[in-house]
Amino acid sequence: MTSFQSTLGDDGGIAEELAENQRAISIAEFFEKNKHMLGFDSGARGLVTAVKEAVDNALDATEEAGIAPDIYVEIAEAGDYYRLVVEDNGPGITKEQIPRVFGKLLYGSRFHAREQSRGQQGIGISAAVLYSQLTSGKPAKTTSRTRGSADAQYFELVVDTDTNEPEIRSEQPTSWDRPHGTRIELEMEANMRARTQLHDYIKHTAVVNPHARVELREPGLDEPLKFERGTDRLPAETEEIRPHPHGVELGTLLKMLEATESYSVSGFLQSEFTRVGTKTATKVCDRFRDRHHGREMAWKTPEPGDDEGVEGEVVDAVANKSAEATDWFAARVAGTVRDRERLAHSDLVELVGNLADATEAEFDETFGDTVRGNAVDAAWAELTRADLLVRSLYERIDDATSTRKDDATKRGLAERLADKFAEADGHRHRVTRDGFTDYVDRSADRVAEATDAAFGDTARENVIETCWSVMRTVPDDLPKVSVIADDRDTASELLEAMRATDILAPPTDCLSPITADLVEAGLRKEFDADFYAAATRDAEVHGGDPFIVEAGIAYGGEMDSDGSVDVMRFANRVPLVYQRGACAITDVVKRIGWRNYGLDQPGGSGLPSGPAVVMVHVASTNVPFTSESKDAVANVPAIEDEVELAIREAARELKSYLNRRQSLEKRRRKQDVLGRILPEMADKLAAVTGHERPNIDGALGRIMNNVLVERTVEDGTVTLAVRNHSERKETLDVTDIVTAEPTAVHNGASVVDLDDEWFVQWSPSVSAGETATLTYEVSEEATFDIDVEGVENEKLTVDT
Amino acid sequence: MSSQDDRARQQLIDLAAEFYDQFDRGKVPEMTLPTRTKSNIEYDEESGVWVYGDRTSTRSANSVRGARKLLKATYTIEFLARQLEEGRSSTLRELYYLSESWDSDEAAFSDQDESNQLIEDLEIVSEVTREDFHMRPEESGATLMGPLELREQTRRGEREIHCQKDVGEGGYQIPNNPDSIDFLDHDIEFILCVETGGMRDRLVENGFDTDHNALIVHLKGQPARATRRITKRLHDELDAPVVVFTDGDPWSYRIYGSVAYGSIKSAHLSEYLATPEADFIGIQPEDIVEYDLPTDPLADSDVNALESELDDPRFMTDYWQEQIELQLDIGKKAEQQALASRGLDFVTDEYLPERLGEMGVI
Repeated sequence: MTSFQSTLGDDGGIAEELAENQRAISIAEFFEKNKHMLGFDSGARGLVTAVKEAVDNALDATEEAGIAPDIYVEIAEAGDYYRLVVEDNGPGITKEQIPRVFGKLLYGSRFHAREQSRGQQGIGISAAVLYSQLTSGKPAKTTSRTRGSADAQYFELVVDTDTNEPEIRSEQPTSWDRPHGTRIELEMEANMRARTQLHDYIKHTAVVNPHARVELREPGLDEPLKFERGTDRLPAETEEIRPHPHGVELGTLLKMLEATESYSVSGFLQSEFTRVGTKTATKVCDRFRDRHHGREMAWKTPEPGDDEGVEGEVVDAVANKSAEATDWFAARVAGTVRDRERLAHSDLVELVGNLADATEAEFDETFGDTVRGNAVDAAWAELTRADLLVRSLYERIDDATSTRKDDATKRGLAERLADKFAEADGHRHRVTRDGFTDYVDRSADRVAEATDAAFGDTARENVIETCWSVMRTVPDDLPKVSVIADDRDTASELLEAMRATDILAPPTDCLSPITADLVEAGLRKEFDADFYAAATRDAEVHGGDPFIVEAGIAYGGEMDSDGSVDVMRFANRVPLVYQRGACAITDVVKRIGWRNYGLDQPGGSGLPSGPAVVMVHVASTNVPFTSESKDAVANVPAIEDEVELAIREAARELKSYLNRRQSLEKRRRKQDVLGRILPEMADKLAAVTGHERPNIDGALGRIMNNVLVERTVEDGTVTLAVRNHSERKETLDVTDIVTAEPTAVHNGASVVDLDDEWFVQWSPSVSAGETATLTYEVSEEATFDIDVEGVENEKLTVDT
Repeated sequence: MSSQDDRARQQLIDLAAEFYDQFDRGKVPEMTLPTRTKSNIEYDEESGVWVYGDRTSTRSANSVRGARKLLKATYTIEFLARQLEEGRSSTLRELYYLSESWDSDEAAFSDQDESNQLIEDLEIVSEVTREDFHMRPEESGATLMGPLELREQTRRGEREIHCQKDVGEGGYQIPNNPDSIDFLDHDIEFILCVETGGMRDRLVENGFDTDHNALIVHLKGQPARATRRITKRLHDELDAPVVVFTDGDPWSYRIYGSVAYGSIKSAHLSEYLATPEADFIGIQPEDIVEYDLPTDPLADSDVNALESELDDPRFMTDYWQEQIELQLDIGKKAEQQALASRGLDFVTDEYLPERLGEMGVI
């Protein structure tokens, strides 16, 4: 049989052969092979992604400089390729930075900042450059002019895919009509099959950025698509924040430990993290101590009946001191111990230390470290006699377990636990919670074997909890930062301690929500609807990153009423147009019961249908996406909950609007029918009784709970009667437009003369069931034209 | 126009005038009527009949439904007023069809129940009977047979008729307005109201009317008002006892109920239509047991009807509670003609004489 080894050997070392092929892969090369991760998986998609990356950058740049964005996007056919031009009026990029910004992947200002921004990794625009150079072979052409500079700087760039460094093909100063800004021109293999997504992206961008002016030209459009500014208010500037202790990972923590200038853990926590002051730092340190050093068991001190010999043992342990001083010291140690209910080793050390100091002062004798140490050991040995430990533990166990537990079982467990403490390394009875859990588990298993009595998980948990609660955090010093930085395990203990401590949520000035009124303004600007609602939630935290969710709904009007509603998703003001089905936002919209809010929802779940759009914006210092292409928000429960609450908040307004609309609609129908029936009835009654047709407006007004305005003119006196048949007080503006000058105007009216027409205006408040009478006089023949505001048309009957 | 017609017409116009005034005063037109349900009929001690209680419901133009009803009422008032003026009459069904021709689409009746009910509403508020509006039901058709001589006002003048000698086997046809009849002479011992045509024919063929001087009134199922009215008049004016002979099922007890106590729908006319002294012969549930009659099982609807009768105030007597409980118990019902299982003459020779004897009628 041929041996494998010999075959390998014969080939002269396959490992060496393999090694020849093993080399570093440049990041650019990697992404060349994994374009889909960045959203460049097809020609159609690539174009949209390139537009998106360029526009996101443009918006970030302008906002950061406090400039109202003015963005121009042009897509044109260029032979076999498409040419994309994106221009902004941002602050421009300095000559030195341009090649790196556009020609080096993972280069950017954002990655290290905890602040809400559109771009983060510094991949986007350089990936677009890379994509264009890979498909068309043409370099990216960039022009940028910084404010105040005479000329703009022009570059032609490609990314060197081996080194991930920019390669400048051409550079020269050039003139540009924009006073400042940046322009990028890319040629790429593409098609316009994703036109809908492109338009969605631009339109949605306009919705969430009402402060931006955006213009799109592309071959399929006869007219450029222009989105004008809806507000001059720029988004609030965001503050960069330090990381929150709950939001860091171990790797990040190690890096931070490495980099910090702090010496102590407490100082490190306070200077490198947000929301950590002295108090919180102390709490974290204590928890860190518990994990690093363990806690010391505080044993119950002996009771009067116990034959305890603390005093005698201490006397024996103190050698070479005067008898008075020794007795005085020993008596006090014994007395103080008796006064304490529980005592841990560190307590004893402290107590002995204090009393030794006192003895030194009293007798002018030196009680040195050796004496103190001997005294502590002697007293501790006496205090931790096996029977005392068992009794102390028994009392705890008895307290923690149900009365049904057999006494022998409890005693058995206490004995075995006491053994564990006694057997453990070091006599200080110090153990971490994990270690103690192990004690309890092993002891309980033994007891179960011996007595056949099960000791379940809950009982064990209770025992651990009750014992842990009496154990003392030790006063020992914590390792220094530099030590922790080199020790992954210790750093991990610190991280656990940070996570286990309650810490105030991070501040939210690092976030810039659109705010409810601008969400509404954005919707108003782009959708011709009957109703708009918006809600902005308070900030919440997910994994140390604060986030804010906003939702808006537009309903009715010119919107398409067939099929499902449109869901517009945004993350940090960037529209998400792909992977709708994979997005947590879509999931939440689908699981809300929309029928409760007055929208149709076939089957009671899924996307509702009707003429509506639902928009949701998630703003965070770190939006969790499902992938690097940032198309879908990941299913994080904390975020999903807030999305749901925000949508429900807006949907409640929609519901009351729809209810109101429905009741007005019913009312209108009722009025229509009664407006037909009652006059017919009146006519018939007039015929039967032989009288004139009765006036039915009063009855109609009463039936419809309407506000009725009637005019009578008699001998030049004009009387307007405002009868309120509704069930609440109505306040309305009544304006009578008269062609003759009114005199003797009563009831607090104002009169305005406009080109021989007089506007007589009252604002009467009429209680339910009451009538207000408004009068004035005219001297000559006049015509009147009345205008009543403040009451819905459906509720108003004007009879003048 | 007779003075009676004139009064009826005036009452209707007054009602229209009331609506007119309500409009004119800016009020919402409305019409208040007693609630016409089982729970709102009460026994009137004085007259011994069941009449409407105090609960009322209002038809108001406040709602589209109410407004439509009032519009229809107005159109109907106009129609009836003109009919009275012209001395003509029409049937309830004609009114329903006629409404189609009214110039308002909203005023047309959607079914005949609606127009019938409206006429009843107008009877109540105007205190004029339907007959006085000259409104007839479709088929009167019920008949009398027995030793009675009467005079009827017909379109062709007065006719004197003897209800045995002057009529064929079919008997005397009761006119729509029995108040146009005068009773002249009679030998009536008692009045026997019979539900089904088959039984009525059996009695006539067996000569029960001549043998017992009985006036046989054919009810034809649920009796028309004219039938009930003439029964009432015969009882009151000729002082003859009235007995009712029907099938043994819940629906037939209601026939008895409407003869004796008045119907829920026309409780406003109970005093005019009901004969509280009328007695029930059978078929009683206890007869089913006693004579071992061929039966059908009670259907669910029968059981429901019986249970509903248990809390109908008209049937709150020991006799009826006992009989209905018994019937629910045995779960069976029987027709009048089931008596034929004992032979064709059993009913005239044994059953009726025996029952009438028990009841002290003969």
